[in-house]
Amino acid sequence: MVDQIANWEAQIRKGWLEVAILATLWRGRLYGLEIIRELETSSDLAVAEGTIYPVLARLRNDGLVEAEWEEGTSGHPRRYYKLTPAGRKRTLVLARHSNLFLEKMTALIKPLLAEAK
Amino acid sequence: MTNPIDSASQERIDAYLKRLRHALRALPPDEIAEIVREIRGHIVERAEATDSLSEAALTRILAALGNPEDIASLYQSRALVARARASTSPLLILMTTIRWAGMSLVGFVACLFGVLGYVFGLSFLASPILKMLYPDRVGLWVGPNYWNLSLGALSAAERARDHATEVLGWWLVPIGLVAGPLTLILTTLILRWALRFAFPKTSVRPGPTDGSSQ
Repeated sequence: MVDQIANWEAQIRKGWLEVAILATLWRGRLYGLEIIRELETSSDLAVAEGTIYPVLARLRNDGLVEAEWEEGTSGHPRRYYKLTPAGRKRTLVLARHSNLFLEKMTALIKPLLAEAK
Repeated sequence: MTNPIDSASQERIDAYLKRLRHALRALPPDEIAEIVREIRGHIVERAEATDSLSEAALTRILAALGNPEDIASLYQSRALVARARASTSPLLILMTTIRWAGMSLVGFVACLFGVLGYVFGLSFLASPILKMLYPDRVGLWVGPNYWNLSLGALSAAERARDHATEVLGWWLVPIGLVAGPLTLILTTLILRWALRFAFPKTSVRPGPTDGSSQ
């Protein structure tokens, strides 16, 4: 039972990861670790950190984000990601869909939780 | 305040990245270099952010990142599909479909179709050669007692048992030479089409809630 719930949760997280990554980039460019930190603090999307990078590579391949290396003050180069115009459009579409979906789910679940109290 | 990485930790980081590099070996070298550079940056920055980089702390950092082989496989699925979409190599397309088979039922069906298509194609292609080597045994055998066409080699004993007669004769050679490549090409094109259909190159499709004019 506990395993099944953990498995279900892992699948849900995986499904939301792409939207969440795109959403973190809405306000400006970030590098991988910043995206991970943002996800840790503002969402419940604790996934294996290494999975973020292949998703970013796919988004870049699809033309939704672009990446640039920058020699930082940290002593090692960082690869910054930012949304392309197509990426901004896609993020907005996904955000609207997500919002609608979540509203409907909440409307479905809320009465049940209230009753179970 | 950053924390310098001692040589023992550096060795462990290098070993992790070596495993990653090895697992990524199917990708182009410049792509591997970029991935490794990025992951190294991640580890170093995490390490420098800890108060003191103990063995346990580094273990936690690497565990949070995940298995290098798992990360590599995520990169490769994507890269494989991207290359297969543009390729005409049956081997690459079949390899990608086999990977797809592990991801979904549709992929499994596509993979089954692909394997069958290539087996048929190769059999057609092999039959003219076999016909020339064993003219009496190879052909399209039709038996009166059953509804079975056997494209292949039947021994004299089997022929007698099934009352099978050969209906194609030497026509098998040109038919095999045409049907073989045709089946192989068609299978490849259909698999590639299925891959393109299942993994579309992302295009922004306006959704029902999209568009500010609404």
